[in-house]
Amino acid sequence: MAGHTIRFSPQGRVTEAPTGTLLSEAVARAGIDLVQPCGGQGRCGRCVAQVCSGEIRARSTLRLSEADLEAGYVLACQAVVEGDAEISIPPQEELTRHLTSDRTAGAVSLPQGYDPQSSQTIRRIHLDIAPPSTDDQTDDWSRLLGALRRQASIGNISADLNLLRRLGVILRASGWRVVIVLDQPVQNGNARLLDIGPPETDEMPLYGITVDIGTTTVTVWLVDLLTGDVKAQASEYNQQIRRGEDIIARIIYASKNDGGHELRQLVLQTINGLVDTVCQRARTRPEHVVKAAVSGNTTMLHLLLGIPPASIRLTPFVPVVNQPPPLTAAEIGLEIHPRATVDCLPGVASYVGADITAGTLSSGLEHAETTSLFIDVGTNGEIVLGSREWLIACACSAGPAFEGAGVRDGMRATKGAIEEVWISSETLEPTCRVIGGGKPRGLCGSGLISLIAELFLNGLLDKAGNVNVGIEHPRLQMGEHGAEYVLVWAEDTVHGENIVLNHVDVDNLLRAKAAIYAGFSVLAESVGMPLEEAQQVLVGGSFGQYINVEKAIEIGLFPDVAWEKFKFLGNTSVQGAYLALIDRKARQKIADIAARMTYLELSADNTFYEAFTSALFLPHTDMSRFPSVAQKLARPQEKERAP
Amino acid sequence: MALSGIEIYKLLPQTNCKDCEFPTCLAFAMKLAAKQVELSACPHVSEESKARLAESAEPPVRLIEIKANGNSIQAGNEIALFRHEKTFYHKPGLFVRLRDDMESAALIGVVRAVDAYRVGYVGMDLTVDGFAVEACRGDKEAFAETVASVRQNTRRPLILMSRDAAMIAAGLRAIDGENPLLYAADETNWEAMTELAAEHKAPLAVVAPTLEGLADLTQKAKDKGVMDLVIDPAARDFSESLARATQIRRLAIKHNFRPLGFPLIAFPGECDDLVKEAMLAAQAIAKYAGFIVLDHFSAEAFYPLLALRENIYTDPQKPIQVQPGLYEFNNPTPESPVLVTTNFSITYFSVANEVESSGMPAWLVVADAEGMSVLTAWAAGKFDAERIAKDVKRFEVAGKVTRRRIVLPGQVAVLSGELEEELPDWEVKVGPREAVDLPAYMKQVLL
Amino acid sequence: MPIEIPKDKWPGKIRTVTLGATSEQGGSRGKTVTLGGASTLPFMNFEAPMPHPPQIAFELRDRRPDDWSAVVLDVWGGAADDPAVWARAAEEQGADLLQLSLSLTNAQGNPTTPQMAVAATRKVLESSSLPLMVYGPGQAEADNELLVAVAEATKGERLALGICEDKNYRTIVAAALANDHLVVARAPMDVNLSKQLNILITDMGLPPDRILMDPTCGALGYGIEYGYSVMERLRLAALQGDSMTQNPMTVSVGFESWKTKEAKVGADVPSAWGEWTERGIQWETLTAVTLLEAGADLVILRHPESLRRVRLAIQDLASIAQAA
Repeated sequence: MAGHTIRFSPQGRVTEAPTGTLLSEAVARAGIDLVQPCGGQGRCGRCVAQVCSGEIRARSTLRLSEADLEAGYVLACQAVVEGDAEISIPPQEELTRHLTSDRTAGAVSLPQGYDPQSSQTIRRIHLDIAPPSTDDQTDDWSRLLGALRRQASIGNISADLNLLRRLGVILRASGWRVVIVLDQPVQNGNARLLDIGPPETDEMPLYGITVDIGTTTVTVWLVDLLTGDVKAQASEYNQQIRRGEDIIARIIYASKNDGGHELRQLVLQTINGLVDTVCQRARTRPEHVVKAAVSGNTTMLHLLLGIPPASIRLTPFVPVVNQPPPLTAAEIGLEIHPRATVDCLPGVASYVGADITAGTLSSGLEHAETTSLFIDVGTNGEIVLGSREWLIACACSAGPAFEGAGVRDGMRATKGAIEEVWISSETLEPTCRVIGGGKPRGLCGSGLISLIAELFLNGLLDKAGNVNVGIEHPRLQMGEHGAEYVLVWAEDTVHGENIVLNHVDVDNLLRAKAAIYAGFSVLAESVGMPLEEAQQVLVGGSFGQYINVEKAIEIGLFPDVAWEKFKFLGNTSVQGAYLALIDRKARQKIADIAARMTYLELSADNTFYEAFTSALFLPHTDMSRFPSVAQKLARPQEKERAP
Repeated sequence: MALSGIEIYKLLPQTNCKDCEFPTCLAFAMKLAAKQVELSACPHVSEESKARLAESAEPPVRLIEIKANGNSIQAGNEIALFRHEKTFYHKPGLFVRLRDDMESAALIGVVRAVDAYRVGYVGMDLTVDGFAVEACRGDKEAFAETVASVRQNTRRPLILMSRDAAMIAAGLRAIDGENPLLYAADETNWEAMTELAAEHKAPLAVVAPTLEGLADLTQKAKDKGVMDLVIDPAARDFSESLARATQIRRLAIKHNFRPLGFPLIAFPGECDDLVKEAMLAAQAIAKYAGFIVLDHFSAEAFYPLLALRENIYTDPQKPIQVQPGLYEFNNPTPESPVLVTTNFSITYFSVANEVESSGMPAWLVVADAEGMSVLTAWAAGKFDAERIAKDVKRFEVAGKVTRRRIVLPGQVAVLSGELEEELPDWEVKVGPREAVDLPAYMKQVLL
Repeated sequence: MPIEIPKDKWPGKIRTVTLGATSEQGGSRGKTVTLGGASTLPFMNFEAPMPHPPQIAFELRDRRPDDWSAVVLDVWGGAADDPAVWARAAEEQGADLLQLSLSLTNAQGNPTTPQMAVAATRKVLESSSLPLMVYGPGQAEADNELLVAVAEATKGERLALGICEDKNYRTIVAAALANDHLVVARAPMDVNLSKQLNILITDMGLPPDRILMDPTCGALGYGIEYGYSVMERLRLAALQGDSMTQNPMTVSVGFESWKTKEAKVGADVPSAWGEWTERGIQWETLTAVTLLEAGADLVILRHPESLRRVRLAIQDLASIAQAA
């Protein structure tokens, strides 16, 4: 195959590529890291490259303006090499870190009456072993077992080959006085030998970690297993993001070539980096971590374990495994103690994973006296309805709009993102709050929710989300997709361009909120309970923390129940994993939750679609579900009639 | 009254043992509520719960079957008043009436034509279900002969019609071993007719002009051990037929009124103006008939009636789909572009409206994505390059155009490369993400 | 044993909507047509009589519609060449009202101008005394331009202007509002979308009794079951008291039926389809009757024989039952 020469500036790299090669592949081959949040689907418009000269054919011109096209810009993932070319790769927007959960160890409290001795599965035991003699030629391993039986009443333990190889040396070097570390998941049950060492091992702390693998963010907590205390916390973007922002994009990426392997490496790098961070903060070393509890959605756990996730997205939506067996750190690739137990928490279905079973525990839904709702808001919205008697769950794909993707001026909740908007009902002029202060760059999810609520209540959007062209105002202008609202004028932004909200953006947001609300209503309907009767609405997910309840109700994202019924809980998944790590009973409860949670597949019939179109309106087609919003709406209508 | 999923759940053991092959008791309860599974699948349910659940599980409209040597047609077992609530399950049987006073050759001609009639509709062969043979001459031998002659020319199920039990008995002898529907028992002949029905294990139609009369007759028949009954409310015009059918269905379903919990039979041919026959049959299809006997057979009327019956009796819970295929807009020519979308109705409508209103000629390939929207179908693997290429070939699109340009929805721009591989002679383009931007795209890019 | 007839009692009822205005009312029509008013499911005469039985309209075009089925064009003959003649013929054939569809272009392929649209509308109004519905060509810009002109030129006639859709309703509604007309609101076979459009239109200040709902029907064999169920559900919601679904429903049965292959094509079809003309009429007739049972208050037809037959069915259905 004839190769063409592709030169990249300003990096100064050169590569050869045959006709038909995707430009993004050539970029990668040249060793340049080009972030592709949508996984190369031509959707996000982040992988722009400028063709200075040469033959590059663009398949799709989406996301590029006419001026961009004229200047020779293409999307690398949608452009094909057809001859030699010179390409300029502009510097990409840096991912400014704004992970509030990082470092700020939330007030994590131990369960009441928590007793580490009886709750913890990791046990450290001193053993005095009778040395052998010609009268007693019992082998070393049996000696150890005997001592264990007599001194700790533990009957049955197993050990791996590496430990056996070192057993004799250690016993003799330590003069037959040792400390052993065991993992005994079931009280008085079988145990596994994790380590054995001289008595001074006693001085060394025993640590565990909880890992929550989110599609966007990975969180790791370091826990002192002797006390149950959280010693350090850290969060980081999941490095897989560059290979796709949402779950579906990752699954597809995983099924191509070596994509699964690459994604596994990326998440391992993320977790191992975070383990280093928390260990440094607590002045310890990763080898002292002897147990891990891992939570996350089903796809993330498949990717971590290197299990092909393809069947998750295809009918009938069945994962390879919902309840992985206990594994060791070495076989997974976690850089902690190699024999550390890695406990991947059980999930329920393809789209209701361990993050939800763990969240159901930590949110308190699991023992709620009256029927309550628990929702984990993210790219996917997972919703559980129930109480201590029964639990039913569903998942709805909200899409990445709440993460700022698929929206013209959307962005993640990083520095420069507008997170809250107020619009004056007198002048229709906006006021914005920007993360980190300073000039804004775009809107994050909470900003979008707040902007849409304000536009709607002030009559600038009709109930279908159309911009009301009947109103004359300088901020209402015609754009590429019809009428749009200019939130921030170019001179006041970081990049010197207007920040606007257009009709396509509103549609995306409406679809996202409608999917979530439809999930609520279908669950409630499936058990014949009016949604408004939920006694609590427990909101998990880190994004959930920043949602303004009032605004969320105004646009019809959350049910119109009294504000005091809402509880914002932050990352319920990691909290649940923490409880599972330190408490055998909590771990058993999560298993019970997984076993008794009924999963409702929303694609099975029309019910969800009906609820979805019904919710695809501001705030909802059935206004009687949103009495508080109906009341507020009376006001701007009066104003509209005034001159 | 039907119980809700949670109500049923409370009657189950709540152990989540999975022996019913559902993951939880609640999942099983919800399937029970939807009548998609039998209670017997749970080996642990208590006798008390069983009794309570069985009561709510019995179908309010009894299932009736007309059998003829291996051929049979069923009606009943319906549980809904409106098809959006639950599928209407058993399509009403369409029958053609023959009379024993017809000239023999003519009668055989009709039987053969009707028996052979089959019409293709969305991949199915639709046929007429059977014949009603009516005794008009008052001559038992002649009736028996006619029945025998009909049976020689068709294997389809039969309805025997006469108010004279002796006549029906003669007809039954001609088709020994079959279980035809006997029409009909009334106030005067019910005892004899009931005996015949019991003896031949044949379903029996009862006819009376009032609901009380009908309930009275079904009760009498049941007392004699005849359970398989069909109701003729004796209304023949539009208004009265609709009122009666609705009242009976409501009593059966909403009030669980057993005496009227049977399928209905309708005779649209017995009207004052023959142009009404097909319209009355259409009403009977939509409004609750279990068996429909027409007096005239014509392809022009039976094809739409058979199609309508398929339509009304489809599963309403399936997503609204349009027929996959190649659609034409604004008189396309071989030069016009080919657009692609999925067969989810709302997706199709939004695309079709925009293309139509663009005023520009175009072809639209509506791919079979099992009724999902573009992104959903793509996510579930139902709308990929392979499937699109397969449909492009299946609909013989290449034969319709000289300039081979195909436009993908912008939401699946990712498929462009694979589609180029699948369709090497085609120029693959990526359209806008939203249908509303199509006219502008078509004007700028596709000229 | 006496059986109590199960009668449904509903808290809601269908709005009455009146099309057309006589000279005393500020228009020029010889009569008005009132739709709706039902307080029961269709034709449940044993519960309550239907105050305004369903009506039938003929669909006309501003110029000869060459894409129509030859069966329909043949029956109208030369009348289809001139909207004035066509309108008169349609009235003679027994229509209750007329529905004029404007074309995107004239016969020469030039865009229809507002003047041409107004002229065609005037012709129909002058040659017939029936109330009129006027539909644009179905393209947002053209619809808005032509319908505004028609609305202004016919102020006070209480025409029904169509078609409002969720992406394009403001201009048409404003024109109806300013010129005393009605609108037809069409949503694609979806209960929620129908309701949403009604909300949007009433939010603009148009009184609800000037809105007709077109839920989009689908012809027999081509998705009629979806339209059928959507209409049944809309009617049930309306009777249950949902104010934004209480508008009378109109369905373009002729448009849907005659574009099916069964009705449109005469040659090279299976023999099991039967004779073409009768088949086409059956297709239109049975589609209409089925949708009437689901709650249609107005059916728009194309073939005169279909109108004759559907009329028979409506007369029978709307008659008061003897018994019960």
